Amino acid sequence: MHSILAVDDSASMRQMVSFTLKSAGYNVVEAVDGQDAWEKAGGRTFDLVLTDQNMPRMDGISLTKKLCESPQFKATPILILTTESSDQMKQAGRAAGATGWLVKPFDPNKLIEVIRKVIV
Amino acid sequence: MAETSMDSSSAAAGIDLSQFYQVFFEEAGENLEQMEQLLLELDVTAADDEELNAIFRCAHSIKGGAATFGFADVAELTHQMETLLDNLCRHELTPTPAMVDVLLQSGDALKAMLARHQGSGGAEVDTTELLFNIRAMVSGEAPVAALTPRASAPETVAPAAPAVRPAPTTGQRVVELQVGPLSNPAQADNLLELFKEITDLGQIEPLPEAPGLHGVRRFKVSTATPESDMMDLFTFHVSRDQVKFVAYGDDAGQAAPATPTADPGYGFFEPVADAAPAKAEVAPETGYGFFDNAPGAPQQAAQAAAAPAAASAPTPAAKAAPKVDKPAAGGLEASTIRVSVEKVDQLINLVGELVITQAMLAQNSRSLDPVVYQQLVTGLTDLDRNTRDLQEAVMSIRMIPMSTVFSRFPRMLRDLANKLGKKVELVTQGEATELDKGLVEKITDPLTHLVRNSCDHGIEMPADRIAAGKPEVGTITLAASHQGGSIVIEVRDDGKGLSREKLLKKAREKGIDAPDSLTDQEVWNLIFAPGFSTAEQVTDVSGRGVGMDVVKKNITSLGGTVEIDSAEGYGMRVAVRLPLTLAIMDGMSVGVGEEVYILPLSSVVESFQVSAEMIKTVGGSGRVVEVRDEYMPVIELEKVFDVPRFDWEHNSGIMVVVEAESGRVAVLVDELLGQQQVVVKNLETNYRKVNDVSGATIMGDGRVALILDVASLVRRSRH
Repeated sequence: MHSILAVDDSASMRQMVSFTLKSAGYNVVEAVDGQDAWEKAGGRTFDLVLTDQNMPRMDGISLTKKLCESPQFKATPILILTTESSDQMKQAGRAAGATGWLVKPFDPNKLIEVIRKVIV
Repeated sequence: MAETSMDSSSAAAGIDLSQFYQVFFEEAGENLEQMEQLLLELDVTAADDEELNAIFRCAHSIKGGAATFGFADVAELTHQMETLLDNLCRHELTPTPAMVDVLLQSGDALKAMLARHQGSGGAEVDTTELLFNIRAMVSGEAPVAALTPRASAPETVAPAAPAVRPAPTTGQRVVELQVGPLSNPAQADNLLELFKEITDLGQIEPLPEAPGLHGVRRFKVSTATPESDMMDLFTFHVSRDQVKFVAYGDDAGQAAPATPTADPGYGFFEPVADAAPAKAEVAPETGYGFFDNAPGAPQQAAQAAAAPAAASAPTPAAKAAPKVDKPAAGGLEASTIRVSVEKVDQLINLVGELVITQAMLAQNSRSLDPVVYQQLVTGLTDLDRNTRDLQEAVMSIRMIPMSTVFSRFPRMLRDLANKLGKKVELVTQGEATELDKGLVEKITDPLTHLVRNSCDHGIEMPADRIAAGKPEVGTITLAASHQGGSIVIEVRDDGKGLSREKLLKKAREKGIDAPDSLTDQEVWNLIFAPGFSTAEQVTDVSGRGVGMDVVKKNITSLGGTVEIDSAEGYGMRVAVRLPLTLAIMDGMSVGVGEEVYILPLSSVVESFQVSAEMIKTVGGSGRVVEVRDEYMPVIELEKVFDVPRFDWEHNSGIMVVVEAESGRVAVLVDELLGQQQVVVKNLETNYRKVNDVSGATIMGDGRVALILDVASLVRRSRH
């Protein structure tokens, strides 16, 4: 079973994402912000990291950067959930080493659809 | 690959987003509260990035959830707020008090919208003006290039947003109307009829079914009718959540907040060779994308293969799914239920009766031989404990912290101070003090009045304050605390205080008998006289002099008292004291002669046996007792209540030290009978007000005992 680290500071989004992923048969570990995710990521691996962009303490881009710099997560796909689809955000995501982005709002099916493309 | 993708999509198709609504509402409520607090604390002249970011994040978070869960109005407003805040964070705009105002008003509007979505009713919230104001602030002061590269062209018609572009909702416009998914698409023909019947509605033309939206009827509508009015008409034929307005002919901007589920567009960062059937599907920059060569990014071929599969599995979450995985209610764990206060009161009443019955049983069983009735006695002990626990649990339902009352004041005071041109800071203390919900509701209005009064009449204009050598910013303090068996809520200000001369003069003008010999306390109390107002000018803030007497009346009706202290030039303090009129309390029963009295246990400090030489007479009649080098006034209950004595030999020999209003007295009684819970019955409503008595109760043996008002006993000792 694939494991996904879902990072979002909003409880409702986190629950929605987590529930969607679990219904689709994934293992989900939730984190409330980048810092929390970074702490939870230590000592284990994930098949995918799904992170919100705008969060307190550590945002999605910083988390991506940190994960990509660590040998353990160098090859882990990272998707950034964002409400901004601006080029600026995309460039920042690309520079940080993210695999892709998904614009909010999205519906549960789309999320699964995108994830199926990344984790086969 | 294609099959896998399809299967997985359908597996998740049945997810019902409404299961997350409750969490979203709670979260949005918290965010709104936090935002309001941050906005109130924001120093406009020196806003730091961290604060602005925190405010931005609140709006952003609400927007994300609202858009995801389909609350279009909330999403639209938060989106505009976010745009403004984003400009502030990027220093493209500088914060102004007007911006803070508009953001606060938006917060209020959002609260109303959320309440509406939660089903608590209320009128539809009109945000036209708010949206207009925010947009004006964003576009009026910032260069167009600030945030939205494509905003420059269509700005005049519908101010474009960067990520989401809602359909215009008012004015003459052309929009696409989507109805469905419908089990019977012919249902939507009713709408065509509707437009025929009501010509003012505008023009409607059917559009071909979109490939990505199965069972959804599309229409092109040219109209000047507000969206909400159309919605009201449509709902006669189709349910509200099946109707969506989207921008007509707008492919890239389909990700409107109103239509998360109708979003037909998604595409790839890299153009896909095998063009997907829906035209919107090849539109870049929608939905999601992958970066080249990033870990795990799908290859071109995989994308091409997946695209048609994904297209054939459209994603209306609202679509009735054949098999809905019923979730294990995980999303609603933290939920609450709303119960009418009457039900809670009924429960409390019943528990009250139960407590009396239990006390009666306990008393009657004392004469039983514990050896013979061992099981019964054990059972009664358990009953005692369970009753107590039950009662605590039931009472706690009604208890809410004072912070729920206090939290409304920062905002109110800010608006008020702005209106008056004053500078006021609010300090709150003892917010965790719990108070019965019934009392909280009734005390809110009087407190509001007192705070308004302090701001309006108490705090001086900034210039006057500086001239008087005071800090420019006035302080109003709200403090709550439990004192003995009552709750004291104080409203203090460091304003100009009450003027003895002015009050006396005013009283005489009003024809009130006010001799110079009145004590300060009596002079202050003059402001409670009906029709008395101390302000030279009547303002629209503190009312027209009907204020204080009404405040006093309201508090008195709760069985409370109001005390005023003031020093001219230094401020004033109004203390509202509410007796614990809760249905049940812990009491210590004491015997005097044949009578039994109850002392609130919370006010009892200690008790001890006293000998005659410990009691000393001072100043003729006053008697004091020495306790550990401290002299305390003695109150002889026997004399206070004229208890008849048949037993002349007996002398009271027990002192119970009680505390109230930061004063202590020693109450002289015959014996301590024990402590127990008593059900408080209001004496005033059943008989009349009796001095030094706060209520009555029925004892286990059926006798009536008076509950003593300790605060009143302490006050008695001071005179």
